[in-house]
Amino acid sequence: MTSYLARRAAQAIVVVIGVMIVTFVIIHMIPGSAARAALGVHATSSRVAIFNTTYGLDKPLYVQFADYVVALFHGNFGISYTLQQPVSTLIAQRLPGDVLLLGVSTVLAVAIAIPMGIYQAVKRNRLSDQLLDGVSFTLYTMPDFFIAFLLIALFSVQLHIFPPEAPAAATLGGMLADPRGLVLPIATLTVSNLAGYSRYMRSAAIDVLAEDFLRTARAKGLPERLVLSRHVLRNSILPIVTLIGLTFPNIVAGAVIAETVFNYQGMGLLFFQAATSHDYPVLLGTTLIIGAATVVGNLAADVAYGILDPRIRHGN
Amino acid sequence: MRTSRRLAIAAVMAATAIGLAACSGSGGSSAIGTGSGTAATGQKVQGGTVTVAWPDGSAPNLIFPLPAATNTDGYDINFTQNLWPTLVSEGDGAQSAVDPQESLYSSLAYSNGDKTVTIKLKPWKWSDGTPITSRDFTFVYNLLKANVPNWIGYTQGLFPDDVKSVQTPNSSTVVLNLTRSYNPDFYTEDVLSEIPLLPQHAWDKESATGKVGNYDETTAGAKAVWNFLQKEGSDMPTFTTNPLWKVVDGPFTLASFSSDGDYTYVPNKNFSGTVPAVSQVVNEQFTSDTSELDALRSGGSLTVGQLPQNDIQQIGILKTEGYDVVNQAIPGVAGTLVNFYNAQTGPLVSQLYVRQAMEDLIDRPQIVSKVYGGYADPGNGPVPTTAFSQWASPVEKSGGPYPYDPAKAVSLLKAHGWKVTPGGTSTCQSPGTGATECGTGIAKGEALSFQLLYSAGSTTGDEMEAAIQSSEEQAGIKFGLKSEPFNTLSATVGQCTASSHPAATCGWQLVDYGYDPYDLYPAGNSIFNTDGVNNLGGYSSTEENTLINETEYGASSQAFSAYEDYTAEQLPWLWVPQPSTIEVYKSNLGGFAPLNPFSGGINPEDWYFTK
Repeated sequence: MTSYLARRAAQAIVVVIGVMIVTFVIIHMIPGSAARAALGVHATSSRVAIFNTTYGLDKPLYVQFADYVVALFHGNFGISYTLQQPVSTLIAQRLPGDVLLLGVSTVLAVAIAIPMGIYQAVKRNRLSDQLLDGVSFTLYTMPDFFIAFLLIALFSVQLHIFPPEAPAAATLGGMLADPRGLVLPIATLTVSNLAGYSRYMRSAAIDVLAEDFLRTARAKGLPERLVLSRHVLRNSILPIVTLIGLTFPNIVAGAVIAETVFNYQGMGLLFFQAATSHDYPVLLGTTLIIGAATVVGNLAADVAYGILDPRIRHGN
Repeated sequence: MRTSRRLAIAAVMAATAIGLAACSGSGGSSAIGTGSGTAATGQKVQGGTVTVAWPDGSAPNLIFPLPAATNTDGYDINFTQNLWPTLVSEGDGAQSAVDPQESLYSSLAYSNGDKTVTIKLKPWKWSDGTPITSRDFTFVYNLLKANVPNWIGYTQGLFPDDVKSVQTPNSSTVVLNLTRSYNPDFYTEDVLSEIPLLPQHAWDKESATGKVGNYDETTAGAKAVWNFLQKEGSDMPTFTTNPLWKVVDGPFTLASFSSDGDYTYVPNKNFSGTVPAVSQVVNEQFTSDTSELDALRSGGSLTVGQLPQNDIQQIGILKTEGYDVVNQAIPGVAGTLVNFYNAQTGPLVSQLYVRQAMEDLIDRPQIVSKVYGGYADPGNGPVPTTAFSQWASPVEKSGGPYPYDPAKAVSLLKAHGWKVTPGGTSTCQSPGTGATECGTGIAKGEALSFQLLYSAGSTTGDEMEAAIQSSEEQAGIKFGLKSEPFNTLSATVGQCTASSHPAATCGWQLVDYGYDPYDLYPAGNSIFNTDGVNNLGGYSSTEENTLINETEYGASSQAFSAYEDYTAEQLPWLWVPQPSTIEVYKSNLGGFAPLNPFSGGINPEDWYFTK
C-alpha cells in the first residue's frame, strides 16, 4: 500500500507539472493582449509598455515560464493583473468559503442520496420509487440558478425567513457566525447534487440486490436491515466513491452560479473573471489548484476502493 | 489627465446604469423619479447606518489616491475621494457644475492671458489638526512630476507637463505658471478636478520607519516616496491600521476594510466642512445584479442600490419594501466607433456620405422609446443633451443633424454610385473619386458590409444593436453583430491611427463598448482629435483639431458650440442613445437626490435619515 501511494504521488506530481505547462502555453496563446484586457480600450502604448514591463510580459515566453516556475517554488503564484493582490492571497481568501459551502452540500447530498437510492432499489417500481424518481428527474433537469431563484423567492422574498445572500464575512469563522445565510446556498447545491447521486446509488443497489451472495445471506437468516447495511450498501457505494472523487476538484473550483446568485466571492467567480480579463497569474494559480485537487480526488477514490472492496485492495 | 476620473465614473456607471431616464411623477407603481428624485420628508435625524450596494468588480484595491499606470481598478477613486477629495469638486447636486462647498479652494483666478492660475485654499485642516497648506499641493505636484507616465491619470502634455513652475507665496496660496493659455472652464473642470491634496506632513517619507522630510523636492526622493506610498497603499489588510491613511481631509475616515472589498466609512469628526449626519456608511460588494436585486426585494439592510433596466418591472415590489427609485442621465458620449484604418472597411467609412447614410438609418428616438422605455439620452451628437443641457447646442437639442431618414440614406448611396439592395447588401457600381462615384479605395462590386463588435452583458444593449442592424438593412448596409465580454473586447480593440496601423488590435471594423465619460467640461480632446488617446478609430480632421483646441486653449465662448456642431455633423463616431442609471434608495434617506452624476450618485456626505 505504501509503495502504491508513493507511486501514485509521483504520478500526481508529473500530472500537475503537465497541467502547469499546458495551461501556461494555452493561456498565452489566447488572442489579444493581456495588458489591453486589463487596462481597457483606452490603454495608451506607454501604459501598455509599463504594464508589460511590470509583469514581465515583454520577455520571451520561455523566460516567462522559467520565472514563473522559480517563483512557484518560492510559494509565489504571482500578482493578479486586475485585483492587484497576490494570487495566493486571493485563493486563500476564497477557497475556505467554497470548501464550506460545496463540502457541506456534497456531504449532505451523499448522506441523503445513499439511503434514498437503496430505498428506491428495494422498492423498485413501486409507487414510492416512482414518486422519488419523479422528484429526482425534476431536480436533475433544473439548473442551479433556477433552484436558487425558487428558494430565494420563497424563503427570502415571500417568507423573509432566510437572507438571499451568503454571509458577507471574508473568513470561514465569519461565515459560520451567520448560519442563516448559509442555508439557501447549501440547500441549492445539495438539491442540485442530490438527484445525480441518488440515481447512481439506486442503479448500483439494484444490481447488487440481484447478486447471489445476497440470496445466500438472506437464506442464512440475516435480518434485512443487516443485509442492506452490510452487503448492499458496501457493494453499491463504489460508484458513489468514484463520483465523490470526481467532485473533489469541483469543491475547490467553486460554483460560479451559486456564487453569482448568492453573492459570495468564491473560486468560481475568481476563475471566471480572470478568464474574461486575461489575468494570467490568477488563471494559472487556480488551474494548478484545481489540477492538484483532481489528482488528489482520484487518488483518494482509488484508495477508498481498496478499503471498501478487499478484492481490489492495493498491494495485495 | 482625464483618464482616472473617466475610468472611475465609467466603472460606476457601466455597472450601475443599464438605463432608464426621466419620467416625472411617482404615481404609478413603475414610475421613476427624475434626476432630482423625490426628497425624503420628515425631520432630519443624526446618525444611522447607510448600506450601499456596489456592483460586481467594484472592490477597491488601492488606498493611495494616485494609482499607478498599471492599476486598472477604476473604483479606487470612488473609494478614496471620500477620504482625500479633489481640489475642485465635480457636480453640484444634479448640475454639471463645480460644487464650491465641497471644493478645497476658496478662489481660483486666471490671469496673464489665462497662463497663470492663482489658487487660494480654504483654511481647512487635516484630520490630525494640521492645516491644509500650499505645501500639500506642491507635494502632489512633485510626486506626479517625478513619476509620470506611471500615473493612471496622466495624459501627455497636460498636468504636470504643462506646469512651468509652481509658486507658493504663502501657506494658503498656490500659483501655477502654465506653459500655455487654457480655457479656464476646461482647466478648472477637467484638470484641477483630478488633483487631490495630500498630507505632506505625514506622507513625505521613504519607508515605514523613516522620518517625514522634504524628500519629494528631489526627483530621486519623489520616486522613493511614490514607491513607498504605492506599496503601502496596496497592502489591503493594513488599510485601517496604517497611520498614513488615518490622516484625511475628506468627510469620512475608513473604519473597516475586508479582503473581499467591503468597507465602512465613519464621519471624520475633524472635517472642516459639514460633518456627515450618518454614523457610518457600509459599502457592500455584490457579485451580480441578481444577488443585489434579491437583497433589495427581500427587504434586507440595503439602503442604496442600483437597478438594471431589465428589472424595471420590479420597481413596484421595491416600493412596497420602502424604497424610492430615481434615474440619472450619464455624463458621457455614446457611439459606435468606426475604424478608418481597417484594411477592408476603412475606405468605406472614410467617406462621409457612407457614415451619414449609416446615421440616417439609426432610429434613435425609437431606440430610446422602445428599447430603453424612454429612459435614455437620444445621443444626437458628442454632448448628451440631458446631462449637459447648458453645453448642448440648439442643433443637438433639436434632434441633431441626422434625424432618422431611410429615404435620405438610400438617396445618398445612389447618388454616389451604389446599387442599393434593401434587405440585401448594397454594392458599389461606380468606382472612382468623382462626385457621383463611390470614392477612394472602393472597388466595383464592393459590398457595404461590416462587423459590429459590442460589449456583451446587457439585454437592452443586445436589443439596441439588433434594432440598428435591422434598420441599416433598409439601405442594404449589412451589420454582422458580435458581442464579447468587455475585457475580451478590450484585449482585441486597440487604437488605430496612421502611425499605429497595421497592428494586431486594428482588425475591428465597428465597435460599441459603451461610452466615454466626460468631466464637467465635455470637451472632445482625447476623443476626437487626431492624436487623442481615446480616438481609437483614427478619425483625423484638421478642422476638428482646430475647433477642439479652441475649446481648450481659446477664450471664445462660441468655440464650444462650433466644435460641437461640427463634430455632430462629421460623425467621427456613429451617434447612438445612451441609457441612464437607476438608483434605488430607502425612502427615509434624505439628501440622496438630486444625484450628482459625476460621483455616480454616491455622495454619502450629503445623506441623512428622516423620521
